[in-house]
Order: sequence, then structure tokens, then C-alpha cells
Amino acid sequence: MKGAALARGGVPLSRMQRWMQEVVVHPGGVADAVASRRARAALRGASIEDVVLPSRTLGPAERVGIYQGMYLLRMEEALETDYPALEHYLGDRAFADLVRDYVQAHPSVSYTLNRLGDHLPEFLSRWPGARRPEVAHELARLELALSQVFDAPETRALTEAEIAAVPAEAWARARFVPIAAFRLLAFRHPVNAYLQSVRDEVHDHPSLARKDTYVAVYRRDYSVFRHDLSRPAHDLLADLVAGRPLGKAVAKVIMRGGRRAPTSEQLFRWFREWAAGGVFQRVGF
Amino acid sequence: MGNRWNLPDLGLGVGLRTVHFGHILSTWPEVDWFEALSENFMDTGGRPLHVLDQVAERYPVALHGVSLSIGSADPLDRTYLRKLKALATRVRAHWVSDHLCWTGVSGRNVHDLLPMPYTEEALRHTAARVREVSEALERPLVLENPSSYVEFVDSTMTEWEFLSRLAAEADCGLLLDVNNVYVSSFNHGFDPRRYIDAIPPDRVVQYHLAGHTHKGTHIVDTHSDHAIEEVWDLYARSCRRTGSVATLYEWDEDIPEFEVVHREALKARAPREQAVRAAAR
Repeated sequence: MKGAALARGGVPLSRMQRWMQEVVVHPGGVADAVASRRARAALRGASIEDVVLPSRTLGPAERVGIYQGMYLLRMEEALETDYPALEHYLGDRAFADLVRDYVQAHPSVSYTLNRLGDHLPEFLSRWPGARRPEVAHELARLELALSQVFDAPETRALTEAEIAAVPAEAWARARFVPIAAFRLLAFRHPVNAYLQSVRDEVHDHPSLARKDTYVAVYRRDYSVFRHDLSRPAHDLLADLVAGRPLGKAVAKVIMRGGRRAPTSEQLFRWFREWAAGGVFQRVGF
Repeated sequence: MGNRWNLPDLGLGVGLRTVHFGHILSTWPEVDWFEALSENFMDTGGRPLHVLDQVAERYPVALHGVSLSIGSADPLDRTYLRKLKALATRVRAHWVSDHLCWTGVSGRNVHDLLPMPYTEEALRHTAARVREVSEALERPLVLENPSSYVEFVDSTMTEWEFLSRLAAEADCGLLLDVNNVYVSSFNHGFDPRRYIDAIPPDRVVQYHLAGHTHKGTHIVDTHSDHAIEEVWDLYARSCRRTGSVATLYEWDEDIPEFEVVHREALKARAPREQAVRAAAR
């Protein structure tokens, strides 16, 4: 039976679009999609034959099915571009399942697919399909950081001359601001080593047994770099990124490390290396 | 013959694709112009934008989008328009194009070029939005005919009638994708020559050419191959009506080396030159 709108002369544009979208994004087959409660509600009692014409070779549902079949493939393609190591870790089938479930919970609401995967790490921490959700979550966090750093605004880095111009007496109270394309990450598994092995196409991946690891991700000259850090180096950078003056950040790391703490010379050397690497954009006092 | 805005014939161009960045930056190939996919450059401060800036220093550039969603029942995305305008200004885009389609409603984007019903309601709705977009971008919007796999019971006119009326009512330019005409003609069973012959020639600002994938029951617009002879014939037919118009070859799946794509674009030279000679007679 046709709905009231059809009796008046057709399905209004907004309702037709709501219906077609419901069908296209449905995670099941096209028959299930067309029969779904939401799709039927959008058409208010009309059938697919009332909306879509058959072609010489395909029925209405098969024709809409072309769009429906391409939807998940497109989402998968976008997410595997951003999360290749995660895909490798989960395997093709589990990754496809993940994409299907993820885009139901977090459909794209942006004009760009670049941000489609922004909620994937968080989603993974409660997704039941991963063998070890905590590892999948950390791999996703690392890969999300890589894509964020890749796309971050370009900010001019402090030059060595500018850093050298900081008066000796001002070093302790200097506050360093990182460039926009910088992320500092702490993990409970060696996910950076795993990611590298995927990139190197190594078949024997490193163990993902429990181990605290720390990584800085940043961009220089439009290339993205990953640097493994020690715990004290991570803590120093974390304090600097949080806006703590250099002197206080160094003192805190030394105090926390006790007898095994790095020397202040070591800490300042790390700092100079990061600065030379273009990690900081500004210094304030 | 030219278009009504005197937008230039940029020659034979190629789509700017990531896999070709290294080749382009190291060889600066003798290609007439590049088309950049707007959304790939609007939200990045990284390498893609840096490459586009360099390309725009040396070549004419046009922007081509996939997310304007001009036919959607949702409100226009003003943030998108602001960013699109800023990018167009940054790269001195000769024009900005997108598709006659919708990509989502209720705030969602399914990232597909979904088909419009060709009704009076859809025409009024789309024409009003095209005018709004042209005003926001401060330049005429150029709209492309999409490939489609669905026809609606409610349509009261053909796609070419809809497009022609839309162009007149909203004063927009047209990007005629000849491969899309061919794909849709197979999928919907119409004569593609009728479509080509009905498009107002002074509205055509740009052509697209591409390859497709024949699935037996239907054709999918995959941009994954060389264009077939029938598509080249349609292009030549259209050039005889429009004269020499900026033409771009799109290759987006299984992308071969830059030279292969460029050679495919250069195949358009003969029909274009014939069109110019015919116009001079």
C-alpha cells in the first residue's frame, strides 16, 4: 500500500534521501536493509518499487544494492589507509568486522574521510572482536597520532640560533611550546616496534608482551618521524609540553629517578637534541 | 566558441594524485594543468598542501570536490564553504567544481555521489543552493554530471533536461563527464548521444574523461582504466558543439605511472583540434 505522500504525487526529497541513506549504511545485506524498520519508517509504508525503477538487467533492490555494497568498502578503504598496522594485527576479516561495527557507532559526519578514524582507538577499547583489545587500542592510538601529525598545521620550529640566544641565566625558567605536529605517547606494549615491523614487511613481528614504551611522533620538513624514548626522557618532554619550566622539569625527573636518574647533563643533551630536531616552536619565560 | 564566463581553456590536464607527487616535484612534467580534489587539501597543513602550493606556482589549477552535497536536504555546510573558498584563493583556482548529487543527510556523510530524483522540487531546491554556493565562493560553481546506478519513479525529466535547466536557473557552469554519460546511458538504457546533444554548449567549462568497469549487468565508474572508444567518440561529438574546452583525465584506482595517465589525457588533443578547425571554417 502506498503512503499518503505518494498518493499526493511522490516522495518528498528529504524523505527519499533519509530512506536511501538508511538503506546504504545498513550493515546487513540489501534485502535486510530495505526491510529494516528505519528504512520502512522513512518511506512511511511505500515499497522500494514505489521509489526506484528497475533497469533492463537489475531490480530496484539490486540497483540500490550497488551503492550499499560500496559504502562499507569505502569506509574500510579509508580506515585501512590510516590504520595499516592495526589491520595487520587484527587480520582482514576481523578488521572488516571492526569497520562494520565502528561506522555504525561513529559514522562520518565530516566532509573529509581523513577524520573518520578519530574515535577508533576509544572504540577498540570496548570492542569485543579483538584478541587483545588493550594492544589493538594502543596500536590504534599510535596510528591516529601519525595521521594527526601528518595533517597538523605547519608551525615554524625554533632554530638552533634562537635556542642558543636564550641567556644562560634564563634556561631554568624557560617554557618551551611544541610544534603543532607533535604527539607524545606512553604505551604498555611495544606497539611502535610492531608498527615498524609491519612497515618493513617483516614476518616475525616483535613480541607484544607487556612492556612500558614511550614514543614521540613529530613532523619535520613534511616527513613524519617516530622516536622511541626512555621513561625519563618521556617524563621530561611531558612536563615541557605541559608548560613546566625547563629547570623544574629537569629537577622533577631527577628526583623521580632516584639513584638511577639521568644526570642533568644527560637531560639537557636530550633537550638540545629535541630542539635541534625542530620539536619546539616557541620559548617563553 | 567559449563559455559564457570566458573561463579559459586550460588545455589537457591530469588529476593531482598522491602517488605522483614525487614524479611531479622531481620532473615538473609538461602537462597543461592539474585538477586537485578539494577535500584532500582543505584540512591538512602537511605535505599534500605543501605539494599543491608548489604545483599551483607552476601550473594552472582547478579544484574539484566530492562533499559539497549540493542536492542534499540538509543545510549547506558553511564551514566547508569557507574552507573551500580559502583554498581556492590560496591556489588561485580557475574554477571550483563538484557533482550534481547528495552525499548524506541528517548530518551524516556516506562519501558517495548519491543520485538525485529529477523532479521540479529537486530542481528548485538545488538551483537555490547553487546560487548560495556561487555567492559564498564569489565565483560560478561548476557542476558535474555523476554516474548513477538508480533511477527514481518520481523523476519527471531526464538528467540532461535537469542539468540544462539547473544551469540556466542557477547560472552555473557544467563539467561534462563524458564517461559518466556513457556509464549512466548503459545503466539506464538511454542514447548517450541524446544527452551530449542536449547540453547547452556555452555552459560547458570543463570535460572529464576516465575508464570504467563493466560488470555485465551494469557499469561502475571506477576511474581504473583507459577510456573506451565509445567514450572518445562521445567526447569528439561534444567538442564539435562546445569547441576546445579544458579537459582532464581521471585515474583513481590501480593508478599507473604519471606518463601513462598523461598520455591518455593527450589523446584528447585530436578531437579538440578538429573542433577548433571546424569552428574556424
